[in-house]
Amino acid sequence: MHSILAVDDSASMRQMVSFTLRNAGFNVVEAVDGQDAFDKASGRSFSLVLTDQNMPRLDGIGLTKKLREHPNFKTTPILILTTESSDQMKQAGRAAGATGWLVKPFDPAKLVEVIGKVIR
Amino acid sequence: MNHSLAFGGQGDAPVDPLPARLSNPGAPLLTPDCPDSHRQAAAMALPPLAATDLQDHLMVASNDLERLQRLLADACDTLMQHHHGADQAVKRLAAQITAPAQGQPNSDEARAALQHLACAITALQFQDLASQLVDHTHRRLRSCADRLAYDTMGEDEDGAALICAAPDRPNPVTQDEMDAGSIELF
Repeated sequence: MHSILAVDDSASMRQMVSFTLRNAGFNVVEAVDGQDAFDKASGRSFSLVLTDQNMPRLDGIGLTKKLREHPNFKTTPILILTTESSDQMKQAGRAAGATGWLVKPFDPAKLVEVIGKVIR
Repeated sequence: MNHSLAFGGQGDAPVDPLPARLSNPGAPLLTPDCPDSHRQAAAMALPPLAATDLQDHLMVASNDLERLQRLLADACDTLMQHHHGADQAVKRLAAQITAPAQGQPNSDEARAALQHLACAITALQFQDLASQLVDHTHRRLRSCADRLAYDTMGEDEDGAALICAAPDRPNPVTQDEMDAGSIELF
C-alpha cells in the first residue's frame, strides 16, 4: 500500500485530503506544517508528499527544497496543493523541485487521478 | 504644513484664517478664539501620503471581505444543492433495497450519491479559503489601526509603539467561488 504524507496547517483540509486518499486506498500520514512534515519524513519513506504552501515555520516550497536535499526524497513526487495560483509562485515551486501544482479547492476524483499518474 | 499660518506661530498672536485656507484648503478654519480641540485636530492631521496609503489598504480589505461573502454564499449554495442531491439519491436507493419486488437496486443511484458527496468535499474546503482571507485581511486592518494610532498619538507611554506589519503580498485567495482549481504537472 502506498503511503502519502499530507501536509497542511488547516485541520479541515487535512481531514478532506485524508478522507479522499484513504477512500482511494492510500495510507495517509498527516503533518501540521513543513517542519513537522520534514521531521516525520526523515524517519521513513513515502510514495508521495502532498503539501500546502502557506504554513508557519516552514512553507511548502521550503519543505520541497529540504526534501530534495534528503537522500530518501530526491525523486519522490511532491505535489503542492495551495490557494496560490500566480505564475511566479508556480515557477518558484517548480524551481524548488515540486512535481506539480494544484490549486485549491481540489476535486477528489481529480486529486486521486493525478496522484495515480505520478506515484510509483 | 506651515503651522505658523494655521496657529499664528508659537505665540498666541491673532490669526487671519483666510490665508491659511488659501494655502491649504483642507486646513480647518481657525480663528483666534477657536477651541484648543480644533488646533489639536489640525496638528494631528495625517500627512496626505500616509492617508492615501491607509485608504488603499482599507479599500483592499473591503474588497477582500466582499470576496469572502461571495465565497461563503457559493459554498453554502453548493453544499445545500449536493446535500439535497445525495439525500434524494440515497432515498431512491433505500426504496429499491426495501422493495425488491420492483427490481434489483440500481448502482447508478449509489454512484449519484457518491458523486454528490465528492462535490460536497470540494465545497467544504471553503473553511480553509475563508480562514486565509480573514487572516490576511485582519493583518491588513490591524496594521492600519496601529499606524493611525502611531501617527496621531506617537509612542506608547511605556516605550516604542508596536505596529503590526501589513501583508507584503496580495491575498493568496483569489477565488470567489468553490469550483475545483487547476492542476499542473511540471
